[in-house]
Amino acid sequence: MPAFYSEEVLDVTHWTDHLFSFRTTRNAGFRFASGQFAMIGLEISGKPLLRAYSMASANWEDQLGFYSIKVPGGPLTSRLQCIRSGDWILVSRKPTGTLLLDHLAPTGTLLLLCTGTGIAPFVSILHDPETYDRFQRVVLVHGCRTVAELAYGKSTVASLRADPIFADLVNRLTYHPTVTREPFRNRGRVTEIAKSGALGPLTPDTVRVMVCGSPEMLRESREMLEARGFTEGSGNGPGTYVIEKAFAEQ
Amino acid sequence: MTYVVTENCIACKYTDCVEVCPVDCFYEGENMLVIHPDECIDCGVCEPECPAEAIRPDTDEAMESWVDFNLKYAELWPVIVTKKDPLPAAADRDGEPGKMADFSSNPGLGG
Repeated sequence: MPAFYSEEVLDVTHWTDHLFSFRTTRNAGFRFASGQFAMIGLEISGKPLLRAYSMASANWEDQLGFYSIKVPGGPLTSRLQCIRSGDWILVSRKPTGTLLLDHLAPTGTLLLLCTGTGIAPFVSILHDPETYDRFQRVVLVHGCRTVAELAYGKSTVASLRADPIFADLVNRLTYHPTVTREPFRNRGRVTEIAKSGALGPLTPDTVRVMVCGSPEMLRESREMLEARGFTEGSGNGPGTYVIEKAFAEQ
Repeated sequence: MTYVVTENCIACKYTDCVEVCPVDCFYEGENMLVIHPDECIDCGVCEPECPAEAIRPDTDEAMESWVDFNLKYAELWPVIVTKKDPLPAAADRDGEPGKMADFSSNPGLGG
């Protein structure tokens, strides 16, 4: 059995000069839990060139979605950004990841903290009815440098709100986009916003947190959460927070 | 960067980590696992899965020798991709100091 599925690219959207998303077919045998990632990529000179990408689509859809940066000279992304509908990509057969609902003991609020392409795994989480079964309130805080970089997240949340499947659920979703380098209605770093209490108290008594972003953001978030008594969940037992890198830095 | 398996895996050999590795880069010795540093993509998913907290990022202090150790045995032992039972005394020996004295360089069964 080959280690990869070949999936056909269905459409590609370029959001900025360095951000794009794309959708592909989905093999019926490819199953994943909301929040997981898989190795995806292209065959280059007869060899697979792969990077970890979160599935940015619902786990019940018959298509797969991905969201990526474009790194100039990056071995994979410099090529991947050129894909068009009708091209083929490789998707590994083994999805995995830490950002799983099962890794968190359910309680009142699910706080999703992300920067940049770290929003990708939360797209599948937000499109999973199970998320709203387990949590009364879902808060998505997405930090970027510029307003233009928020476009993918904004569009994703808008289409979720317009989806009749989620009509009764999304009134429990709070979306808080924020930027650090130019004027916008929300300013500041994701961790500063979480600490400020503006979106509710940050306590393991009533909040569960999922974190996905840059290495610096992960370090700050872990310190912030551990200092407040949050404990990391895993397959060995649910906790009060989980954390994962935003991938594809090359 | 890579993650590495360290001393506390010896004589426990929980294999929760192999189930979650996206690139199947764990290799099995008789009483310990190692990570192939050249295959690890540094995703970090295995770290919180290890019940013995034996998996560390190589950016932690004093990990250089563990990177060399993991590389050496990853090239000698078979790959392991499927979770199996831990060693019988795993729960008792988790956290025991001086486990290196019991390290076996023999390969495990893999699989």
